[in-house]
Amino acid sequence: MHTTESSETLNTIIEVKDFNFAYGESQALFDIDIDIKEKEVTAFIGPSGCGKSTFLRCFNRMNDLIDIARIKSGSININGINIYDDSVDVIELRKHVGMVFQKSNPFPKSIYENIAYGLRIQGVKDKSKLDQVVEECLRGAAIWDEVKDRLHDSALGMSGGQQQRLCIARALAVKPKILLMDEPCSALDPIATAKVEELIHELKKDYTIIIVTHNMQQAARVSDKTAFFYLGKLIEFDQTDHIFMQPSNPQTEAYVSGRFG
Amino acid sequence: MQASKQKFTIHKNDSQKRYFERFLSAFFKVTTYLIIALAGYIFVNIAYNGSKALFIAEAPFINIDFLTQKPQTLHVYEPKEIYDQISQLKSAILELKTRREAIGSSDAQASREIQNNIKVLEAQVQALDQKRKADRLLYSDQQHRALAQEPDQSLYHYKNYAYSGGGVGPAIIGTCLLVLGSITIALILGVLCATYLSEYSKPGPMLQLIRLSILNLSGVPSIVFGLFGFGLFVLLFDWGVSMLAGWLTLAIMALPVIITASEESMRAIPKGFREGSLALGASKWTAIRTNVLPYALPGILTSSIMGIARVAGETAPIMFTAAYALRDRLPWEGLENGSDFFFQGVMALPYHIYVVSSKIPQNEYTRNMQYGAALVFLIIVGFFALSSILLRAKIRKRYKW
Amino acid sequence: MKRYFHDELEQLRSSLILIGEKAAHAGRLAIDGYLENDLEKTEAAIALDDEIDALEVEIDRACVRYITLRSPVSTDVRLIFVAIKASHDLERAGDEAHNIAKRTRNILLRDSKTLCTESIAEMSQIAFSMMQDAITCFLDEDCEMAKRIIARDEEVDKINKENFLRLASKDASQNQDNSTQIETIFISKSIERIADHAKNLAEEVIYLLEGDLDSI
Repeated sequence: MHTTESSETLNTIIEVKDFNFAYGESQALFDIDIDIKEKEVTAFIGPSGCGKSTFLRCFNRMNDLIDIARIKSGSININGINIYDDSVDVIELRKHVGMVFQKSNPFPKSIYENIAYGLRIQGVKDKSKLDQVVEECLRGAAIWDEVKDRLHDSALGMSGGQQQRLCIARALAVKPKILLMDEPCSALDPIATAKVEELIHELKKDYTIIIVTHNMQQAARVSDKTAFFYLGKLIEFDQTDHIFMQPSNPQTEAYVSGRFG
Repeated sequence: MQASKQKFTIHKNDSQKRYFERFLSAFFKVTTYLIIALAGYIFVNIAYNGSKALFIAEAPFINIDFLTQKPQTLHVYEPKEIYDQISQLKSAILELKTRREAIGSSDAQASREIQNNIKVLEAQVQALDQKRKADRLLYSDQQHRALAQEPDQSLYHYKNYAYSGGGVGPAIIGTCLLVLGSITIALILGVLCATYLSEYSKPGPMLQLIRLSILNLSGVPSIVFGLFGFGLFVLLFDWGVSMLAGWLTLAIMALPVIITASEESMRAIPKGFREGSLALGASKWTAIRTNVLPYALPGILTSSIMGIARVAGETAPIMFTAAYALRDRLPWEGLENGSDFFFQGVMALPYHIYVVSSKIPQNEYTRNMQYGAALVFLIIVGFFALSSILLRAKIRKRYKW
Repeated sequence: MKRYFHDELEQLRSSLILIGEKAAHAGRLAIDGYLENDLEKTEAAIALDDEIDALEVEIDRACVRYITLRSPVSTDVRLIFVAIKASHDLERAGDEAHNIAKRTRNILLRDSKTLCTESIAEMSQIAFSMMQDAITCFLDEDCEMAKRIIARDEEVDKINKENFLRLASKDASQNQDNSTQIETIFISKSIERIADHAKNLAEEVIYLLEGDLDSI
């Protein structure tokens, strides 16, 4: 019979304590407390506007791009370091916490250059090293066989599903520890979605993955743990089996059974 | 919700609405074609008249002298006999005309007779004129000096016309230098400003103020720019009438257009490129340098075309700041040291056309020069725009997104 | 394209076959104990029932989990549906085997000898072959075999009726104490029930393969 791997044996990689976050005057996240273990897939689910995407973008401080976004109180510790501390270099942080966006955004360069981008901006020029990393990442993202003959063609010529897997490969090139995925399959057809989900299942052996999704079935298929958010609060966080089969909180029950709203 | 009880009529019927629609589309078409016809007429007129100066009957078919020499005085030798005959006929015509006016409408028969006479005389004048044109001799200063011997004064009626001979060579060079220099400066400053506005600025009262200033700058009349340049560069900085002053004045004129168009093209780049870049650990400038600017280049080049269009044809800004009506030396002749290149004035086509059109008496010879200069000017501006378009097409292919 | 959770379906299939084999084994042990008057086999049959019950609970749990987390459709959802029903039928068959064994033990402890061995042997032969065939046609996805199984149920019913008439008649109750006859009637009934469950299994296999609920 199928059993999920016991979470007690894994380390906690992200610790969030009393986290409060606001856009200007309007608060988006209230007192979030959550521990995410490494090499697991954690899904964030919840209705629109519940703050799950905002919360995801806090992990790699992409919210810094929005002027009025600010942290009100609390901390996010990744590997013990508070990422909102003044001494933290955001650029370095983003090399360790990668992100895949909802709308796949391959750069309008060749497939090779897309993957090599992350390394080039770090100053890596050695062609053999770049070749090696490109092949590694494309294999890791399960599209090597599809594109190995056209590495120097434009990335924009690929289908939507391939583009998204390319973006995942590109994020892997800088060897992050954590991979954040913001509704990666929402623009993809079922087959492309299935390929990405299989990829996530493979990747979790080496990476910690946090995925935001509004597709509950996807969260059920793909994740080990699920967190349910509503109106900026964390309502319930538990093993995926429990959330969908016997949720503790009646709001969670209402949401997963489609009786919400 | 109940289904509509309306009848399902979908057939065409001759309603007023349809005719009105058809009328509107015809109206739009006609207006557009009228405008195009007007533009076409202007170009054709200039081309026709200008080609008389620019093109010659024998190989190499282009009047090289016109393009390379500086403006000179035109020495005209009209065949005396014919010239005198024409003068006589012309005065006879004038007399008849006065007489016809004196008669007025009282005697229709006589009026018509006089009209016929006038017509006959005019035909004669035409024929003689043709002959005159065929027989006359035209010399520019250079050619005149090179003559071994002047034509016989008894056979020819001599006149000379200033600015009607030679060519517009130095003006062409001057215009090219002015356009290139000013657009380069304007592009550099404009792209810097556009980058700030689109990537770094925060919304707020300061930004509103900046945008308002740029908008106002584009509305300032060009003569005011000329005065500004004169006061600041020529007098205050004591550069005198110089190319540098002209460059800066023209650059400031082109700035609003370049800033606006460049900023638009940078904003058009999707946010995803920047975000994707930043998420991979790029600094803000790296993200802009690698993922925004190259793809905004076609738009920036478009803005440069618009800038060239604005700048190349302006007379007022360069009138006081950079242009000489007549200059003997070419810009690279007679320089004492390198920096003198920037501090010399030049001839410029728009100013030259202005001088030739308004400063000297009008006749068939000056008209040649005017239209010739205008045609050359159009061709040069068209050439700049074309090269910009070609460059843009090449870059667009390379940085397609 | 094979998804990683399709393995869970394969495991479910294996579990179904396992419970089938256990139920068949329990039945075989019980009947052998009856026919050979072997108390050991009878005891072994009684012990198997707990295992079968535990397996059924596990299969149910796996089915609910798969439906919740994987949203199956078409053949997959029919497999789940059949798994729930079939595991129930097999668990009931196991219960019947358990009953046979218990009653056999009672008879042996009382009389040390069983009755009607011929007809019981004949009945159980048909019933168990039906059960075996049902599991086989689930494995092999053989619709025709399933249909044949359904036809054989009538025979078992017939033999059961004959047994009843014979055991309940005046001739049989020569002894004062006819507990053994009554126990034997029950045993015959149990075997008939096992055949019924095998028939149900065959109908569920037809539903799995053809998707028509009328077959159930």
